[in-house]
Amino acid sequence: MNRLFAAGAVALALAVAPLASSPILGQQAAKAWTAPKTPWGDPDIQGWFSNLSENGTPLEKPAQFAGRNLEDIKGEELTAIKQAAQNRTVESFAGPLHAPEDWWQKDLNMVKGSQAWLITDPPDGKVPALTPEANARAAAAAEARRANPRGPSDSWEDRSLYDRCITRGLPGSMIPAIYGNSYQILQTPDYVAIRYEMIHETRIVPLDGRAHTSPKIRTYMGDARGHWEGDTLVVETMNFRDEASYRNSNGSTLRLTERFTRVGPSTVKWAVTVEDPKTWVRPWTFAMPLTIDDTQPVLEYACHEGNLGLRNILSAARSEEEAAKANK
Amino acid sequence: MNTRFSVVLALVASILLGGIAFPASAQRGAPVRPARTSDGHPNLSGIWQAINTAHWDLEDHSPSPSQLYQTGAVGATPGGQGVVEGGEIPYKPDALARKKLNFASRLSLDPEVKCYMPGIPRATYMPFPFQIVQAPNMILMAYEFASSDRVINMGKPVEAAVDTWMGTANGRWEGEALVVDNTGFNDQTWFDRAGNFHSDQLHVIERFTLTDQDHLLYEATIEDPQIFTRPWKISMPLYRHVEKNAQLTDFKCVEYAEELLYGHLRKDPSK
Repeated sequence: MNRLFAAGAVALALAVAPLASSPILGQQAAKAWTAPKTPWGDPDIQGWFSNLSENGTPLEKPAQFAGRNLEDIKGEELTAIKQAAQNRTVESFAGPLHAPEDWWQKDLNMVKGSQAWLITDPPDGKVPALTPEANARAAAAAEARRANPRGPSDSWEDRSLYDRCITRGLPGSMIPAIYGNSYQILQTPDYVAIRYEMIHETRIVPLDGRAHTSPKIRTYMGDARGHWEGDTLVVETMNFRDEASYRNSNGSTLRLTERFTRVGPSTVKWAVTVEDPKTWVRPWTFAMPLTIDDTQPVLEYACHEGNLGLRNILSAARSEEEAAKANK
Repeated sequence: MNTRFSVVLALVASILLGGIAFPASAQRGAPVRPARTSDGHPNLSGIWQAINTAHWDLEDHSPSPSQLYQTGAVGATPGGQGVVEGGEIPYKPDALARKKLNFASRLSLDPEVKCYMPGIPRATYMPFPFQIVQAPNMILMAYEFASSDRVINMGKPVEAAVDTWMGTANGRWEGEALVVDNTGFNDQTWFDRAGNFHSDQLHVIERFTLTDQDHLLYEATIEDPQIFTRPWKISMPLYRHVEKNAQLTDFKCVEYAEELLYGHLRKDPSK
């Protein structure tokens, strides 16, 4: 039975191979998919998405790929890298104290990940150098920490905005984590909305050409404006709060420009250009494909409402201090 | 009747003139809002808000002081006429007793104080705007308060997978009204600041009907056999934010509730 099946598969492969390499059929196959449009004529990028398989891809180009291009790392080489990353991720959560092993592990499929790193510009695949001002800002922050040292759990304010269920910010919200990666894009003629399951956040992007709000209004997710450039949705976001500004950039000068382009039945190409003249010596861009997956609807993630984790972290830290005092 | 006829006429005319059924996409930024979406349904997209005192108390209520004297006039409750059909919520006796306890302890029990998701119908008439994004097969309602939101499934009805704060919403059009059937609620949300509440048996049927371009009639029928002796109904107008630059501004209130929720767990309470 198995041998018969195998023989059939070989025969099928032989039959298909010459067809697939035929240039005429190849063109026809390319023509078979045309980018869908909404009823009012805009490119249609709507759907439920999950980027789970892009989890764990390094932002910067790893040293081992020096001199090579992103598109050259593919096939078995890429699969091997992704399998290793998958193994590392699962192992990193396998300490003596950990959540049940089937909570997210069996759904994690990093092997399908599409690229070996994320940064597409500058060509060296590295985050550009910090400006002198950004270095001075980092030094001042480090000095403030030295002057007033704090433990990691003295208060909720010492935990991340993510731990506190406030925000993953931008572009953080687009970057996959090990679970809860579903998001949804909806469109009308005047707005594009992007809803994220993680933390539950919704970005509503006006397309009507209105000006940005005053820089006096600062929010965690920033002020977004969008427009269509051909088949590409371009979203420009600014007026961020400093606490949530990407990679310790300056919230009032950071500008993110995202580009969404539907390139296949289940793929939207996404790239974000990060620009902040007060932080980096030049703009830089990273990119990844977004995958439409109708099996992954956004469910309600009552992150803050159920945030026992934060409560437990704080109360455990206080208990440890009490125990240390008692042992003196 | 006349307006409906003229809408149909406009639709037919625009289809004949090259299939552009959506004048707004042809001239973005123009103040004209299409009365109907491309699939012919009333276009509810926009930013809406209630202007009443339902959020303080769904029932008729007199003005009253704040529980925190420090907030003075700012924290006091404005009086107002109720939005409950027939005037009173038909509580079972035990439930009415609990409602009164809720009200007495509202500063520690009201989920709004803790920045929890407000649930349905409360999200609709909080003193914050919400935005309807009416996409072809799904209708998003995004609420400014606590970044809460819900998507109304307009396809084949789905069953609630689990109980949630905002419920599971199945929508359909009944003539000019958007009817939303909501189930799958947990028992954690309230209806207002007066302690009106429900159990996890809550079932809410909402109707959204445009009465003109800038007014949306909101009706909600509330059933919960554990708490109420019969179904009851609220209704109110919602008003469109007509400012050209209207938009939601994130009200991520978690950080305003953290001292209240976790303050006793700080390393040094004096810090």
